[in-house]
Amino acid sequence: MVADLKGLVDIDQGLLSRRIFIEPDIYQQEMEQIFARCWLFLCHETQIPKPGDYFTTYMGEDPVLVVRDSGGRINAFLNVCAHRGNKLCRAESGNAASFICAYHGWAYSNDGKLQAVPNLKDAYYDDLDQSKWGLTPVAQMDTYNGLIFATFDPDAPPLDDYLGDVKWYLDVFFNRREGGVEVIGGVHKWMAPCNWKLPADNFCGDGYHTGWSHLSAVQSGFGGDFRVKTASAGGKSVATGNGHCILTLGPDDPSDPAVPEILDYEESIAAEVRKRMGPRLDLVKPHVGTLFPNFSMLRSVARVFRVWHPRGPDKTEIWNWVFVDKAAPPEVKEAFRIVALRAFGPGGGFEQDDMDNWQECTQTARGVVSRRYMSNISMGLGHESYDHDLMGWVSDYRLTENNHRHFYDRWAQVMASDSWANL
Amino acid sequence: MRDETIREVEQFLYREARILDNRRFRDWLELLTDDVHYWMPIRSNLYPVNSKAISVLDGSRLEESEVSSDHDLALMDEDKDSLTRRIDRLDTGMAWAEDPPSRTRHIITNIEVEAGDSQDELRVYSNFFMYRTRAETEQDFYIGSREDVLRRVNGQLRVASRKIVLDQTVLLAKNLSNFF
Ligand code: FES
Ligand SMILES: [Fe+2]
Repeated sequence: MVADLKGLVDIDQGLLSRRIFIEPDIYQQEMEQIFARCWLFLCHETQIPKPGDYFTTYMGEDPVLVVRDSGGRINAFLNVCAHRGNKLCRAESGNAASFICAYHGWAYSNDGKLQAVPNLKDAYYDDLDQSKWGLTPVAQMDTYNGLIFATFDPDAPPLDDYLGDVKWYLDVFFNRREGGVEVIGGVHKWMAPCNWKLPADNFCGDGYHTGWSHLSAVQSGFGGDFRVKTASAGGKSVATGNGHCILTLGPDDPSDPAVPEILDYEESIAAEVRKRMGPRLDLVKPHVGTLFPNFSMLRSVARVFRVWHPRGPDKTEIWNWVFVDKAAPPEVKEAFRIVALRAFGPGGGFEQDDMDNWQECTQTARGVVSRRYMSNISMGLGHESYDHDLMGWVSDYRLTENNHRHFYDRWAQVMASDSWANL
Repeated sequence: MRDETIREVEQFLYREARILDNRRFRDWLELLTDDVHYWMPIRSNLYPVNSKAISVLDGSRLEESEVSSDHDLALMDEDKDSLTRRIDRLDTGMAWAEDPPSRTRHIITNIEVEAGDSQDELRVYSNFFMYRTRAETEQDFYIGSREDVLRRVNGQLRVASRKIVLDQTVLLAKNLSNFF
């Protein structure tokens, strides 16, 4: 079942086969080895605050229903009717005591139990064990900072271990103030003609593309006021292990948009945030990152997080949420809402252009000759070391493909290994 | 509504569409009032209130509108300044989504004209079909409705607000780099 992966990822030389962005058998193996085993993001707790609230999503290509049951407990199930496999809930969100399949009418309560089966007495002769035909739950579910994750693999390590040292960085994004964050209502959803790994590796730490891909957005004022102050050399790329990657700015580098409400707000909470996050914040300012495999986040200019849903080797369905500190005043939340959608939605001044580049990096790999040539992720090779203060493999310079190498190293390991013990 | 006014509105919207398709974006900005609100909310895929696919637990949690409200996320929520910056961006020579540029065709139909909230305003409903083709074989279809407030400024009609509702929930195009 394992495709021949030899030579696809050469971390020592910083070379990456372009076959991994297009070939169907490699994609299929990703579905089995990565998406059916790793911890994947489902949704944020503030999207389903009340009993009965539900949100439908995907883990890989498997449809998943996340629902807070009548007792207030969050559960996640395959969004698939146990009878014949029909998709159970076809709405993206809402509130329900029970879900009724559109095909033959099997009804499930919001804790996943099979509640009612039409014609149970006459057609089934009352001989169907309903307790065996409830919805299929995920193997494990857990939350961190209000982010709900799940895995289909009962043998996967606990979420806490899976995240490991990236947790402090997640705190900077999602828990820097008391109460954490909430999401603004609604999710941007759009389809990009690219392999899912290109955006995932971009958010790992492609500081390199910002200066060219996004120069038009910066010059026309979609980003921070970088014309006043440019980034120092102090930024680092940090790979904390398990394929999780964070890119940081220097601690005093500007990262906020030139919006007075936001600049004032950030200034007013700086001391509080520094106290809560500790002295590591004097070393780096985390601003973008990817949790292996397909969850990414950004807090420079816009405050957004993402899932890159794989939809075949050359398609990715992108879901984008905007988050704000719960404790922020309403006018600050509104300012963040506006900034995020103008910069990082599908129509965002930054984000429009990424789509084109990821598309063409994928589509050229359709050519059998093009894909014989390795792509180059060698920037900064040999200029990284383990940093105990930052809890990861850290680059000497802010521009590097250090994180890309760690991401694909992990990708190759998870693809090849049949047990978590060997990872 | 007087026939003459309806004809004037139709001609205004057709001319605006031609200006957009000809990529005369600075001229297009002139057709917007300085206080324009240009808004494209998100469309969601929800069960209607009477759906039997679910039984609702908490009626107060029902989202009745599939179109996002003005404090929710939107695909675009722009004022004249941000629209101007979008057009500035196109002029940098580095706006890769539009380099090479899209070839667009705005088909504007189903125009209805009603009295507005004030003497100098009209409420105008229309449908659009915007075809975008780009590079070699890329093509996208953006279809939806618009609700405009047109205001008469120095005798000329101008767009004072525009709500654009796409029919897709998951946008099937890779980006939104054009105007509607
Ligand atoms: S498939 Fe769901 S009830 Fe038959
Ligand atoms: Fe980018």
